[in-house]
Amino acid sequence: MSTLASQDNEYIERGWRLLQRRPLVAPGRDYHWITDHVSSIVEMKTPLWWWISTLITGCIASFTPMLLLYLVCTGVGVWGLNRPVCWAWDITNFVFWIGIGHAGTLISAILFLTRQKWRTSVNRSAEAMTIFAVICAGLFPLFHVGRIWVAWYLFPIPNSNAIWQNFRSPLLWDVFAVSTYFTVSIIFWYVGLIPDLATIRDRAKDPKRKIIYGILALGWRGSNRQWRHYEKAYLILAGIATPLVLSVHSVVSFDFATSVIPGWHTTIFPPYFVAGAIFGGFGMVLTLLIPFREIYGLHDVITSRHIDNMCKIILLTGSLVGYAYIMEIFIAWYSGNQYEWWLFLRSRVSQPGLHLAETVAPYWWAWAAMFFCNVISHQVFWFKACRRNLYVVFAVVMCVNAGMWFERFVIIVTSLQRDFLPSSWGYFRPTWVDVFTFVGTLGLFTFLFLLFVRFLPMITMFEVKGVLPEADPHHHGDHSHGHDEHEGAQA
Amino acid sequence: MECQPAHYMRGLPQVIGMKRKYNHPEQPTTGKAYWKSVEDLAHTEHFQRYLEREFPENADEMTKDPLTRRTFLKLMGASLALAGVGLSACRRPEAHLVPYTKTPEWIVAGRYLPYATAHPRRNGAVPLLVSTYDGRPTKIEGNPIHPASKGKTDAYAQASVLDLYDPDRLRFFFKDGIESTQAEFFSALEKLRAEWAKDQGESLAIITEEYLSPTMERLRGDLTRLYPNLTWSTWEPLKPGFTEEALGEAFAVGKTEPRLRLVPDLSKAKVVVSLDHDFLNPSEGGLIGVREFSNRRRALHPGAEMNRLYAAEPRYTLTGAMADHRLRIPASQIGSFLTAIGRELALQGLTGTFATLIDTASKLSLPGQDIDKAVHELAADLKSAGSEGILLVGEHQPANVQALAIAINEALGAIGTTLVPKAALAVPSASLKEVADQAKAGKIKTVIVFGGNPVYNAPADLGFVDLFKKIPNKIHHTLLVNETSKVSNWVVPAAHYLESWGDALAEDGSYLSIQPMILPLYDGLTTVDLLCKLQNLPVPIGPEQVKKTFATWLTNPRNSVTTPEMIAESWEKHVHDGGQGTCQYSWEFQEPMFNPQSLSEFLIKHPIKHSVPSKDNIEIVKAHDYSMDDGRYNNNGWMQEFPDPITKMTWENAALISPTMAKDFDLWSGIKFGPIEGDAGIVTGDVIEITAHGVTITAPVLIVPGHADYSITLPLGYGRTMTGRVGEGSGFDVYPIRTTEAPYFETGATIKKLGHHYRFAVTQDHFSMEGRPLIKEAPKDYFERHPDFVSYTEEPAAFDHGFYNTPPMKAVHEWAMSIDLTTCVGCNACVIACQAENNIPIVGKDQVMRGREMLWIRIDRYFSSPNEKFVQDNQVLPHDPQMIMQPLPCMQCENAPCETVCPVNATVHNEEGLNVMVYNRCIGTRYCSNNCPYKVRHFNYFDFNQRPIANAKSESLFFGTSKLYEGPLAPKGSPETIMLQKNPNVTVRMRGVMEKCTYCVQRLEAAKIDQLDKAGPTPNVMIPTDSVQTACQQACPSDAIIFGNLNDPASKVVGLKKLPHNYSLLAYLNTRPRTTYLARIRNPNPKMPGAEYIGMAQLKELREAELHEHKESKEEKTVPGHAAESTIQPHGGQS
Repeated sequence: MSTLASQDNEYIERGWRLLQRRPLVAPGRDYHWITDHVSSIVEMKTPLWWWISTLITGCIASFTPMLLLYLVCTGVGVWGLNRPVCWAWDITNFVFWIGIGHAGTLISAILFLTRQKWRTSVNRSAEAMTIFAVICAGLFPLFHVGRIWVAWYLFPIPNSNAIWQNFRSPLLWDVFAVSTYFTVSIIFWYVGLIPDLATIRDRAKDPKRKIIYGILALGWRGSNRQWRHYEKAYLILAGIATPLVLSVHSVVSFDFATSVIPGWHTTIFPPYFVAGAIFGGFGMVLTLLIPFREIYGLHDVITSRHIDNMCKIILLTGSLVGYAYIMEIFIAWYSGNQYEWWLFLRSRVSQPGLHLAETVAPYWWAWAAMFFCNVISHQVFWFKACRRNLYVVFAVVMCVNAGMWFERFVIIVTSLQRDFLPSSWGYFRPTWVDVFTFVGTLGLFTFLFLLFVRFLPMITMFEVKGVLPEADPHHHGDHSHGHDEHEGAQA
Repeated sequence: MECQPAHYMRGLPQVIGMKRKYNHPEQPTTGKAYWKSVEDLAHTEHFQRYLEREFPENADEMTKDPLTRRTFLKLMGASLALAGVGLSACRRPEAHLVPYTKTPEWIVAGRYLPYATAHPRRNGAVPLLVSTYDGRPTKIEGNPIHPASKGKTDAYAQASVLDLYDPDRLRFFFKDGIESTQAEFFSALEKLRAEWAKDQGESLAIITEEYLSPTMERLRGDLTRLYPNLTWSTWEPLKPGFTEEALGEAFAVGKTEPRLRLVPDLSKAKVVVSLDHDFLNPSEGGLIGVREFSNRRRALHPGAEMNRLYAAEPRYTLTGAMADHRLRIPASQIGSFLTAIGRELALQGLTGTFATLIDTASKLSLPGQDIDKAVHELAADLKSAGSEGILLVGEHQPANVQALAIAINEALGAIGTTLVPKAALAVPSASLKEVADQAKAGKIKTVIVFGGNPVYNAPADLGFVDLFKKIPNKIHHTLLVNETSKVSNWVVPAAHYLESWGDALAEDGSYLSIQPMILPLYDGLTTVDLLCKLQNLPVPIGPEQVKKTFATWLTNPRNSVTTPEMIAESWEKHVHDGGQGTCQYSWEFQEPMFNPQSLSEFLIKHPIKHSVPSKDNIEIVKAHDYSMDDGRYNNNGWMQEFPDPITKMTWENAALISPTMAKDFDLWSGIKFGPIEGDAGIVTGDVIEITAHGVTITAPVLIVPGHADYSITLPLGYGRTMTGRVGEGSGFDVYPIRTTEAPYFETGATIKKLGHHYRFAVTQDHFSMEGRPLIKEAPKDYFERHPDFVSYTEEPAAFDHGFYNTPPMKAVHEWAMSIDLTTCVGCNACVIACQAENNIPIVGKDQVMRGREMLWIRIDRYFSSPNEKFVQDNQVLPHDPQMIMQPLPCMQCENAPCETVCPVNATVHNEEGLNVMVYNRCIGTRYCSNNCPYKVRHFNYFDFNQRPIANAKSESLFFGTSKLYEGPLAPKGSPETIMLQKNPNVTVRMRGVMEKCTYCVQRLEAAKIDQLDKAGPTPNVMIPTDSVQTACQQACPSDAIIFGNLNDPASKVVGLKKLPHNYSLLAYLNTRPRTTYLARIRNPNPKMPGAEYIGMAQLKELREAELHEHKESKEEKTVPGHAAESTIQPHGGQS
């Protein structure tokens, strides 16, 4: 960090700040350096910390399959669900993970289409994160059903009963949306990996390694023709993936928005969920990248500008989310729907009795946690100093992660626990199975990510190279910039 | 015969009572009959070894042995062996317990056969029609041709079928805790009989429950003639005998006490004043009372006449919930309250004996209630009603209070109109105290307890546990092992009433027949069998003895029946019809004369005590429990999980107190939300010690709004030390603090807070409607002015179209239901009826606390208190609220939110308007339940039908939860006998499946098939009008639930849906429910204090609507030319 800070000071000193965007890769880092540095992460001897953390996260990850087995052979009752709260942590976790899975494809596809070059340093790991998050997400709706052995009824498989699925049900839309998203994300990610896998193959000294990466690289030779096809394919895939980014979380939000339950039945949900997902996704990207950037010394590739940009996105989407929270409450009041107003005010915030706010709502703590984490915490990103301070950034993104979980919890549980008839009001309390199944998915997610950084290049080398000044055909002619930049770096 | 029921039951096969004997081919006397092979089984070595196996000398063991399929078959074998092979000769042709090899003509698989019988009760048996499938009784219905039922039942009758199949039932004879045989028992009796013969029965005491059986009475007479000195005592803990005492004094003729009772005829009552009398609880007041009261109250159109009910009671009861005016008065102040009414009546000019008996010095002390004005207005109303008024006093109130009430009723002219003198049902017998005294004196050597459980429920001061130790021979004849069996030498398995021949008297005194539906599962003896055996008569073959009683009754001089053929014919009809209709058993009842002299003397001798409960003088009331009665349903899972109609508590009892008292003693109870404490279905209460007359019991506290201050209600029947697996460990025992002196209430108790808490399982913890228009109600006069008031409190759906339409509902039948909230008393009979009909499992306390109870119909109970604000979550509770009930089955929405969200089409709509649940298709996403605004869908979180209830109860080491959480490691499988109860036409749902009310689709389908069959090629496929009933409707004693076909203009439901106060719950959601409600109409006396708030749960909205209307009419006034019309009230003016 200190080097970056000193470099920044130099820029300020030279008065180029107004003229020049900060470069995406630290000056002086050429093609070779990038290839070497990124590939070495995969090629170096496995560090001890990796073994330790993989072992630990692997153990934690094992909670999930064990507890899901227990769930299947005992009954969904091992979770704390009840009537009226028939969904709680299961769907909370599902939506949470799906939300996490948003930033990856957003960065890859939308930022690609909008020519946001800074995406190149972070898109690979963000996409990997997407896939792992969707894996974690998919477990919950699959296993939360009462009879998983007939879960195949969800798929339009021709059967002798000639019963089709109910295409009116948002849960069915979910099945299609999530599986499509997962498929496209994997393809997009893998396609994006091919040139880099070829680089690793080419650098490999171990013949086994050569074969494995060779197979994975699908015969990539880097010819001009290949590149032309590749870039077109990538562009098309980005085009396909872009609507999915918006659709999958919109569809997930329909699970709630199309219902009649106050707190769910809200038209604001699709954009609000998408904004929230991007917000949460970037939170998780930063959560992962900040430590790995430190560990692998990737400061020059994932520069403070990247972090700064992501912080700005967090600030933007977080503020959108905050707007949605407030607008929900406003509409609940403005519509005059007593059930909705009751839910927003008295179930989530406070229960004014004879004296205002005499008692807190049953889930005031969840709502307060959500509001603080998602609306207040990231307001510090208005200040550049905060966006630059990695400790602050890390603290805020951890808040964002927690806040996004709480948001889903608040939406799902607090709406269900107090709906129309006070006679059926209830309360949800998780059991240890709920908690550890979720903890297990956190472990699984981290475990998979650790495997990813060890075995696959976590930075898209070929794309990063493309944003180097050298990649610009006019690079050498552009004296006022490139040349001095080099000088600056050398100095 | 002068008493002939008008017609035979429609739809019943015209078969004769003794179904098996008459409807099966006679067994050949020679040759190997089929049942003999079973007999052969009984002789196998293996079986003999099983029979002879010794149980450990621990009575506990009797209930612990789980009944496996294997042992069950053996037991069936045993019953065959003992009856067919054993000593009692060929008592019954036992073969029919095995499946039919040749099906009798009228048995159709899947079709039930109804047989008439009766459920014996202390206040009169309930005439029943029991559905049997292949010889298994599965469902209890009321007997439609009998006036004491008219097809209706209560929760106890509904649940009694489960007792039959209780896997904990006593299955063997036990001698000193060791398994024995019937033969050994009979030889032991032989020896005892010799002793009794010697001392004329001096050493014999018999304690029975109140059976009200003519045959038992006859046999008792025979026995008394045989052993003239025996002591016969009838013990019913909830029948203290005060009523009989008061009646004896009021109608005494010289020294002879006429055997009579006063039966309320509520069909004639315009004003009902109920003083601590829960007559709307069908088990206390009887089904007739509920029906007549409701019929008089049904406000189907604005001008309808309604009766008016005043209730004064310490705790909230069903009667209090129904009352137009309810006064919360401690039980010990009821006498004072009655005195005050009497005084006021006298002041208002009512003359009669009572006027001279009023204690003028007595003073009612009820701080915070405008009691003087209330008494004044109540008395005025009662007086104006005159002979159409009735003053009822609970039978547990002291005799002097009841005597005064009789005097007042007499002065009003109620006796003979609203209170009809009738012959007493019970024959007087010795009190339990007399038995105890004799036992203390060492006179009694043998005590025989028929049913009942005196060791548990006798007054504590009698010390029955110790007394039993003194008596050398104790014989307990019982269905279930209990505290009394534990200390008895001989424990004799009893036959359930569904296994017995017998007879009984209904609450109206009519003569009922009891016939078996099934052979005794465990070779139990009936009381009649045992009584015969006591007098050395052979165990009767079939209905032998019962028939004899019947023949004696029939050949009464007033009858013309004499020939054996006529007797036989009448008998068949008697058994077939389940009794003699309204025909009374006692012929010779003479209407007695009111004796003011004797009554005055009695009241002067026993003046009404005036004790005022206060902070330092706490009253305790030992009351019946709605689910346990006196404790007899303790091992009945349905009754245990039955939510108390008032507290909504399951599996337990609690000391009920008022919010004021809780505040004064710093007692806390309620839901505390937060991550640590509190959960769906849990209410936590402080545990206190209650001390009265030197006895201390420990009980957790539950705060109930509307309870009298400084009075603690302690419901009886829990805390059993010796009971089955279901009842084990539930609740606390109140009997130790109950004495002969004060069986019902006493003052002077003290309480001490123990500092720890207890967690109750409740099915509804939020009891405020939070201003939502869920239960709509209005007082009668408002209803008359604004018949369509239901539309004021909720906007209709904004639009009536959508993307998707339900199937074209153009079928022949369009099912719909209407629930009348005016007449629903909230008795929960529908809840248990639904449970029995639809194979709904119980889930145990632990799961109820987690909010996972499965009852398909629930009764929501709310408190409304428009004149005082309360915040329930903050423990600011109303002191004197009104209570409103709302039964909630599936609403069968035409536009059902559950259907659109199911991803696999497991819940769909059919053309008849049913919201159909396809269990096989359900994968259990639970989305439908989330999206159900009424929350009437229930998810089977564990395999509740497959898990023995003990699993759900016992704590295991596995993270402190019940064994349900051990999954595959926990015992699995429902007890075999419980499976026998299941309705074969309803799927027994597995885990992971959503289930809900189906409008009893199995019944609808059966009715449709019948009609299709009848219609043949004709287009006449519509079932006869209202010929199909849902289980809840069929049980409902007040006919509040009406079900029918919307396409049948004659159907009742069509008319009800057209009424102005018909409304849909949450109509604004546009769910278009097929189940709609008729708003609750109350009939307050406008002069009573606080009357302006009665029946105004939506007070604010209704007032606004009225103000709006006034304003409009004023505006009209300003328009020139309209002034004259505008003075006329739009809806007919003030009442």
